[in-house]
Amino acid sequence: MRSALIRLHGTVPPRVSLLASVSLATFLVALLAATQFRSQPLPPSNRFARNQALTQSVNELEAQNRRLKSQVQSLQASVKTLEDDSAQRSSSAQQANALLDTQKTVVGLLGLHGPGITITLHDGNDPNDPSDHSLGWVVHYQDLQDIVNLLWASGAEAISVNQQRVVPTTSFFYAGVNVLVNNATRLSGPYTITALGDPPSLESGVKDPDQLSELKSRSRIYGLGLAWQRSNSLRVPGYDASFVLRYAQPAG
Amino acid sequence: MVSLIALLLGFLLVVQLRSQALVAQNLASQDNTSVALLINDLNRANTQLLEQSVTLEQREAALRQALATGGADAKAIEKELTVFKAVAGELPVHGSGLEIRIEGPVQDFEVQDALNNLRNAGGEAFALNGYRIVSGTPIMSRGDRLMVAGHVVAAPYVLQAIGDPEQLQMAADLSTSSLQTRVQVSVVRKTDLAITSVLEPRPLVYAQLGS
Repeated sequence: MRSALIRLHGTVPPRVSLLASVSLATFLVALLAATQFRSQPLPPSNRFARNQALTQSVNELEAQNRRLKSQVQSLQASVKTLEDDSAQRSSSAQQANALLDTQKTVVGLLGLHGPGITITLHDGNDPNDPSDHSLGWVVHYQDLQDIVNLLWASGAEAISVNQQRVVPTTSFFYAGVNVLVNNATRLSGPYTITALGDPPSLESGVKDPDQLSELKSRSRIYGLGLAWQRSNSLRVPGYDASFVLRYAQPAG
Repeated sequence: MVSLIALLLGFLLVVQLRSQALVAQNLASQDNTSVALLINDLNRANTQLLEQSVTLEQREAALRQALATGGADAKAIEKELTVFKAVAGELPVHGSGLEIRIEGPVQDFEVQDALNNLRNAGGEAFALNGYRIVSGTPIMSRGDRLMVAGHVVAAPYVLQAIGDPEQLQMAADLSTSSLQTRVQVSVVRKTDLAITSVLEPRPLVYAQLGS
């Protein structure tokens, strides 16, 4: 290529047209090469269509999920107004309403603020080692579960993960690269875990070399991000849905 | 030089097109099993949200009716309070479910995984060796034993869960499959299981209302 350009030097009109032709040819070859490169990892068309159908189902269900959450929140606000109005009418309603307000804090329906700790977590580097099947560089839902459990053990009073409040019914699950919490809400990294409580106690729990030892070792090996910071002013949101018991009948 | 730029442009154009397609198909690029798991979870979550919505509508109607007749429906408020207390583990509960009995030592993360799976399968109330557990109850290993919110418990471990027995059974089988290679585990469905232990609400010392 370099020798062809040198030979053309000095003959302007043919140089331009030749350059254009060479460029066009090169562009087409590159397009072809890249198309080839592109077509290699793509699945066959039937699998592609199947995946598209599944994606469409997810999109529809997630839209429905958002609508339902919004409906629940608006009903909660309406019920709260009616409960406050009822509390003005009778002493028994007033007493029950005061207890209900307290209980809403206990179950995580109300946002809180205060001192605490923030932990950030993100995927590390894929070593591209065919013999390493550990996926140790990826943050898994169990990692979040372990951190949340440790924070409760270290005295946390309220916790959120990527702005999703951890409530008594919260579980962590996965769907491919996403972590699912609270009514199939999809979270993806980087993850921010916020815990309210005594900052030194929460930090000493996380710093304890006997705790999260596997995660800390993956952080060293794969560069998986694990960092924490104490703060005097943090916020956790309230849970964005409600609770219904279908099987557990209260006896008291 | 022009050819080199053209070469790069050509390649970049296609790579760019490919990346856009991948972003659009973020889910589609995942394996079908993962997407199917997500669909299953979304279906279950939407059913639960719909139930919450219906319950709130009923509560709204009851409160509104009482207010319209000049009174107040304290019972509707108490009903909501009772549900929230049960969810927080502050009331004894009973209902269908299952009991997992583990005859040997287990690690804290194995019990946490089991609880997480059972909760994900719609489990509504739990107890381990008589201690009530909610998601905020820490479980830590102490040698061969476990600490449940500071209480030492030892094998045999009996984990009780209230919920849909069929759903819970699937989660229990998933959770105990690896355990069963080294300890004896039994899972028994119950038509009426009682969880009588309760949790005391913890007063907030550091956290304050408002977000």
